[in-house]
Amino acid sequence: MRGLRRALAPLFAARGLPRVLLWVGISLTAVFVILAVFAPLIAPYGFDQYAADGVRFPQQAAPSIHHLLGTTVQSDDVLSRIIWGARTSIEVVLLALLLSIVVGVPLGLVSGYFGGWLDRILVLINDSLIAFPYLLLAIVIAFLLQGSIGGGVATAAFAITVIYIPQYFRVVRNSVLSVREEPYVEAGRVLGAPPRTVIRRYVFANVVQSVPVLASLNAADAILTLAALSFLGIGIDPSAAAEWGYDISRGIDDAQAGYWWTGLFPGLAIILLVTGLTLVGESLNDSINPLLRQRRFTAMAMPKAGLEPALAPETAGTSVIKVRDLRVWYGSERGPVQAVDGVSLDVRQGEMLGVVGESGCGKSTLARGLLGLLPAGAVRDGLVEFDGRNLVELPSEEMRWLRGPSLGMVFQEPMTRLDPLMRVSAHFAEALRTHEPELSDTEVRRRSLDALAGMGIPPTRFGNYPYEFSGGMRQRILIALTLVLGPKFVVADEPTTALDVLVEAQILEILADVKRNFDTSILFITHNLGIVAEACDRVAVMYAGRVVEQGPVSAVFADPQHPYTRELLASTISLRTTGLRYIEGSPPDLLSPPSGCRFHPRCPDVMAVCSERFPPSVELGGGHPVECWLHV
Amino acid sequence: MASSTTGSLRRYLVTRLLLVIPMVFILLTIVFILMRVAPGDPIQASVGAHLSPAQLAVREHQAGFDKPLLVQYFNYLGQVFTGNFGTAITDHQPVTQVITRNGGATLELTLAAMLVAVLVGIPLGLLAGRMRDTWIDVSSRLFGIVIYAAPVFFLGLLAQELFGRKLGWLPTSSQASVLTQLDIKPHTHLLILDAVIDGKWGALPDLLKHLVLPAAVLGLTISGVVIRLVRVNVIQTLRGDYIEAARARGIGERGVVVRHALRNALVPIVTITGLQAALLMSGAVLTEQTFNWPGIGNRLVFYLEARDYTAVQGIVTAFTLAVVVISLLIDVINAWIDPRVRY
Repeated sequence: MRGLRRALAPLFAARGLPRVLLWVGISLTAVFVILAVFAPLIAPYGFDQYAADGVRFPQQAAPSIHHLLGTTVQSDDVLSRIIWGARTSIEVVLLALLLSIVVGVPLGLVSGYFGGWLDRILVLINDSLIAFPYLLLAIVIAFLLQGSIGGGVATAAFAITVIYIPQYFRVVRNSVLSVREEPYVEAGRVLGAPPRTVIRRYVFANVVQSVPVLASLNAADAILTLAALSFLGIGIDPSAAAEWGYDISRGIDDAQAGYWWTGLFPGLAIILLVTGLTLVGESLNDSINPLLRQRRFTAMAMPKAGLEPALAPETAGTSVIKVRDLRVWYGSERGPVQAVDGVSLDVRQGEMLGVVGESGCGKSTLARGLLGLLPAGAVRDGLVEFDGRNLVELPSEEMRWLRGPSLGMVFQEPMTRLDPLMRVSAHFAEALRTHEPELSDTEVRRRSLDALAGMGIPPTRFGNYPYEFSGGMRQRILIALTLVLGPKFVVADEPTTALDVLVEAQILEILADVKRNFDTSILFITHNLGIVAEACDRVAVMYAGRVVEQGPVSAVFADPQHPYTRELLASTISLRTTGLRYIEGSPPDLLSPPSGCRFHPRCPDVMAVCSERFPPSVELGGGHPVECWLHV
Repeated sequence: MASSTTGSLRRYLVTRLLLVIPMVFILLTIVFILMRVAPGDPIQASVGAHLSPAQLAVREHQAGFDKPLLVQYFNYLGQVFTGNFGTAITDHQPVTQVITRNGGATLELTLAAMLVAVLVGIPLGLLAGRMRDTWIDVSSRLFGIVIYAAPVFFLGLLAQELFGRKLGWLPTSSQASVLTQLDIKPHTHLLILDAVIDGKWGALPDLLKHLVLPAAVLGLTISGVVIRLVRVNVIQTLRGDYIEAARARGIGERGVVVRHALRNALVPIVTITGLQAALLMSGAVLTEQTFNWPGIGNRLVFYLEARDYTAVQGIVTAFTLAVVVISLLIDVINAWIDPRVRY
């Protein structure tokens, strides 16, 4: 019962257009299944009946009230042949699928479970069969079987079966293999308990998911193969049953004489049924394949601002980027996610501003919100002022021209941020040519090599592919790639998280140099407070989409004013740490953040007011605003 | 740098070639078993009705059917190795000659069809993947599904009816008109190439006109698969981290989609298209039959109807070897696109 529910679940999981396609497919298939099952009741005549009540039907009569789809050269009623043809097709397909499942599934189980030479031989045969032109295989088998058992439904089904056995074999074998390698099954085996039930349950669940997909796609294919066999004259014997492919082959001769209906209608029948089955298979596949599963955010209207805008720190110096009450919301299936909810901050020229906070508090969304790199369906509002313009209101094409020459970004995971198929040189050429098309080849080369040299990458590596570099080197290449365009403002989103400590120090040094030498402003996102203390001038502490405290690093770290900052600092590990501290609980679900102060459920200093009203932003002096009732 | 790259590419290909050998053996064995487990007597099946028992025995001896199966198997492997597939039972043509002569026409058809499939399938798949879940996506997908759901020979019937008879624009049968055929000396048996080699430019319009309908019909069918492949893979590569990084450098949407997403998607696309070589050949057999195209598939059907075992076995073997060659070619292309493969 659970298996059945699981198999049926995808039918209801899809939404929108994919769901429509799925149900169109199901309906088309259902129509033909009904025709096939009730053919004796629905079809006006027999499949090779050429006369009724002793009167012979007219030959090659055009569609009329007597013969809705016309008649053939043998005086057969075309409509009846189509309905009986549905029965033939579905019989053959069902028989073929049943045979391939009955043979393929046990073979796959045995091969996967026992492994060894048996597995190797079966896999080799299997792979070779898959490579073989399937129609040829079917042709040869049908050709051979016709000599012995004649051209009936069974012959056609056998011929088609051989094509599909390897597919079921592969699915089942692979799922057995993958469960065999699961740690808990492995552990059970070591302990002497063959975990058959685990394997059985897992494989069953897998088969229940993939077999319907395979079966419906194979059914579609089988109908085409059957039609092809009959078209070539080696499928169903025309005297045994009606078959669409055979009718089309007759129809080609008829069409030359102007009798279009004998070939057209069986062709349409094939198209409709095959389309129906393919739609079912593909929709099911879409809903079980995690890589294809819909992950689109639904576009939504920005809710009205609910919270008081946070204060930006009063600071001296020119701001390169000025953020006021920035909000970024994603529409998700469960509702709007308030990832960044009213953030105000400034990044001054030649300054490094650290943004810290636990995972999931909106740091990365803030970074992408500043550069306009949000996924479809996300909404922004507020002010991001750069060069006298509000980036939030800038058309996307103008925003694109700013990304690169004015605004840069360095990402967390350097291993996957370079295009694996492009040489390093091509990455530089692409970036430079996009923004400065007038550059000559030599200038592109000189600028790129200069930027790389600054990061300690020798010119001999310029023509290499990304896979030829280590993670640390890739991150330096990516930084060079960002800096070669000379941006005034760079967002570094946890650029060292994926790297080891020595490389981390190297990257930090590089960023500090960049700031010093080019007067570049950097927004440095991290959850490592040590890095902030070492490298940043000022710090902003984020919690649940808000900046709860910001100010000069020295002031904030020496005397944290927000309980969250204090807890965060207390839970860092240093040489003096004697015990591990952590903050109880976890950051709130941004779908429905807590009422009042968002930190109140975890706050050690919580007061009555905290859960009721949102705390105002209070400037403590020296450019150090805090959002906490303790300071009101 | 360049020399080491080609060096590793060569090493890779040699390894790949060695891996192909067991596959060839298995496929050949399957073909042999299939052809020999068949009940009944091959010679009798094809021409038996007209022969006396003594004549029959002579013919069987000539074809080697009276030897033990194992001997026949090694003879068969020897045939494949030397490229001599014997003489057809029905029309006494050397099978190898049939394969080379008619194989040219098949090659011409399949290459042209592949071109159509790529020209239609890649742009539509790309558009569908980029505009996911919009009406553009749904209509490209539906086009792909419906065109694939149509049997090649039915599409052929419709095309012949419309462009051949109703509009009278294009010929609906054979590879060239009789005059052109007589005019061209066969070198490669790809008539278009032969015409170019001899500088017979006047023959080209006739040849191309004959090629249009079969190539379009076969190519469109295959484009259905290509659309699906490109769409799925582009959707996946568009989620790549390097895509976001390229956008962060202000690379234009076209550059992002074509240079990064499509190029990266091509690796799996080429691999799977290679596996679809089987599909291409199956389609070619049907297309040739529909358009009376003098290809190897056309001959296969002829010999099947005549129940000519020797010829059928030779042609099926040729198809098998073609599949192996295509899968090797696909690997070369992939190694050329993706530096990591040859690494």
